[in-house]
Amino acid sequence: MLAIFAYTLKRLRSQILGWGISFGLITVYLMAIYNPMIEQQAEVVALFNAYGEVMLAFFGGGLDFLSPAGYLDFALFSYVPVIAGIFAVLIGSGLLATDEEKGRLDLLLAYPVSRSAIFWGRFLAFAAATVAILACTWLGFVAGLPLVDWDVSVLALALPHLSLLAVLLLFGAIALLLSLLLPSRTVAASVAGGLLVANYLITSLARINELLKPLDAVLPLKYYQGGSALDGLNILPFAVLLGATVLLAALAWLLFTRRDIRVSGEGSWKVPFSR
Amino acid sequence: MSIDLAITIHGLTKSYGRVLALRGLDLEVQRGEIFGFLGPNGAGKTTTIRCLLDMIRPDSGTLRVLGFDPQADPVAVHARAGYLPGELALEDNLNAEQQLRYFAALRGNRLDWEYVRRLAARLELDLKRPIKNLSKGNKQKVGVVQALMHQPELLLLDEPTAGLDPLLQQETLRLVQEARQQGATIFFSSHILSEVQEIADRVGIIRQGALVEVAETQTLVHRALRRVRLRLREPLATAALAAIPGVTILSASDGVSLVLQVEGEMDALIKAVAQFPVVEFETERPSLEEVFLAYYAA
Repeated sequence: MLAIFAYTLKRLRSQILGWGISFGLITVYLMAIYNPMIEQQAEVVALFNAYGEVMLAFFGGGLDFLSPAGYLDFALFSYVPVIAGIFAVLIGSGLLATDEEKGRLDLLLAYPVSRSAIFWGRFLAFAAATVAILACTWLGFVAGLPLVDWDVSVLALALPHLSLLAVLLLFGAIALLLSLLLPSRTVAASVAGGLLVANYLITSLARINELLKPLDAVLPLKYYQGGSALDGLNILPFAVLLGATVLLAALAWLLFTRRDIRVSGEGSWKVPFSR
Repeated sequence: MSIDLAITIHGLTKSYGRVLALRGLDLEVQRGEIFGFLGPNGAGKTTTIRCLLDMIRPDSGTLRVLGFDPQADPVAVHARAGYLPGELALEDNLNAEQQLRYFAALRGNRLDWEYVRRLAARLELDLKRPIKNLSKGNKQKVGVVQALMHQPELLLLDEPTAGLDPLLQQETLRLVQEARQQGATIFFSSHILSEVQEIADRVGIIRQGALVEVAETQTLVHRALRRVRLRLREPLATAALAAIPGVTILSASDGVSLVLQVEGEMDALIKAVAQFPVVEFETERPSLEEVFLAYYAA
C-alpha cells in the first residue's frame, strides 16, 4: 500500500503546488486588506447592508464580518468549499476511474497488491494532498497574522481548515463512489460537482428560507462550520462529516473489491440518451 | 487439482449484460508447457485471462492458478504470475525505467535489476526515454519486460508480439521459450497462427466462448486434412480414386493432373495410385491457420 500511496501522492504534486500556493497567497492578501477595511468600517458596513439579505446569505449569513471569525468566513471560508470542492471532486472521481478508463488499472491489478491496498493507498494519498493544500492556506493565514490585531492563536486558525478538510474529503468520497457506479469519470465528476453546487445554494438560501431547512439538514454543508470554527470547533458536526466520509469511502471500497474492472468498455453502461 | 497443472478451468461462464462471453469453458494447462490460446477477436481469450487474474468475476465455474483460487487469493496468483495485457497502457509521465521501478516496488523490489537491463537490451528498449514519446511497439517492449522481469512461474500473455517488428517478435518468442526452459508455464493468446505453431506445445481453439479443440500443435496440424497434388503419365479414371474413403477430388480437369483432399490416413490412396505411372506425388500439410479456419468454417 505504501508504494501505491507514495506514487499517487507524487502524481498529485503539481495539484498540491498549484492549489496550495494559490490559496496561500490569497490568504496572505486577505489578511493584508483586513486593517484597511476596518479603517473604512462605516463605508464597508453600508456597502454590505446594500447587498441585501439574499446576497449576504451566500457569504456566511449572520456572522459579524468585522470580527476575526466573521471576516474569515465572509472573505474565504463561506464559499471556499465550492472552489476547493472542484479539486476534491476532480481528484476523487479520477482516483480509480481515470486509470480504469485508460486501461492502466488492468496491469496494476496484475501485481501482488490487493484491491484494498490500491483503494486505500489512493484514498489516503488524496486525503494527504488535501491536507497539504489546506496546510498552505493555514500557513498563509499564519504569515498574515502579524498584519492584523487579532487575539487568535495559530492553532485556532487551523480549526476552520479542519472543518473544510472534512467537507472536501466527503465530496471526494462522493465523487469516488459515483465514479465506481456511473459509466465514466466525467459523468461522476459532473454529478458530484452538481451536488456540491446545489448543496451550497440550498444551505445558503436555507439561512433565509425556512422551507429549505429540512432539506438542508441532510446535506453536508449544513455541518460545515467555516470561519465560525475559529471560536471553537464543534465536534458533533465535524464528526458527522468525517463519519459520512468513512461510510461512503467504505461503500466505494466494497464496490471496488467486488466489481469487474472494465477495459475497452466491457461491462460498462451508458447514460440513457447519451451518444 | 493435480500438482502438474498450472491452470485448471471448469465450467467457466461469464457474461457482459446480454452478451455471453464464455460458455462453460473447460481447460487444463500443464506446468512447464507453452499453451497457445487461439481465437479471433471477441472469442473470449482476453475474458479468460482476466478471469484467471481476478480482474473480472465469472458468473459460474471454478478456476485454479498454480493451485490458488484467483478470487480467494489473487495476491498469491499475482505474486507468481507475469501478465502482459492485450491493450497495454502505461504511465505517460514516467520514462521506461521509472515505470519498471514502480512495478518493481509493487513486487517489493525483490528482483534482479541487472536482469531487467539485459531484457531491455535484448529488446533494444531505451530505458531513459519518456513513455509518452514511445511508439506502440516500444511500449509493448516495456510490457514484455515487466511481464518477465521477476522471472515468474506463470506467464499470461495476451497478444505478446502485437506492434513489434518481425525481428523483435522473434526475440520475444525466444524470451518466452527461455522462460519455459527455466521452468515457467506460458499461457498466451494470439491470432498470429505462425507464432503459435512455432512455439506452442499445445493449442486450444476457442470459438464463441467455448473451447472447440485442445491438442498438441503438431497433432492438430497432422490430424487435419491434407492436400495431394498428383501428376500421372496417362489419364486416370477418377471414379477409382473418388471411391476411396476420405478422399475428395478437388480438380481433375484432364485426368492427368489432379488435386485431392485427403482426410485421415494416406495408405489407401497411395496403394490405389501405385497401380498407375506416377510422375509427381506431392502432399501439403495445412498450416495451423487452415486448421483454425476449418474450425471456424464448421
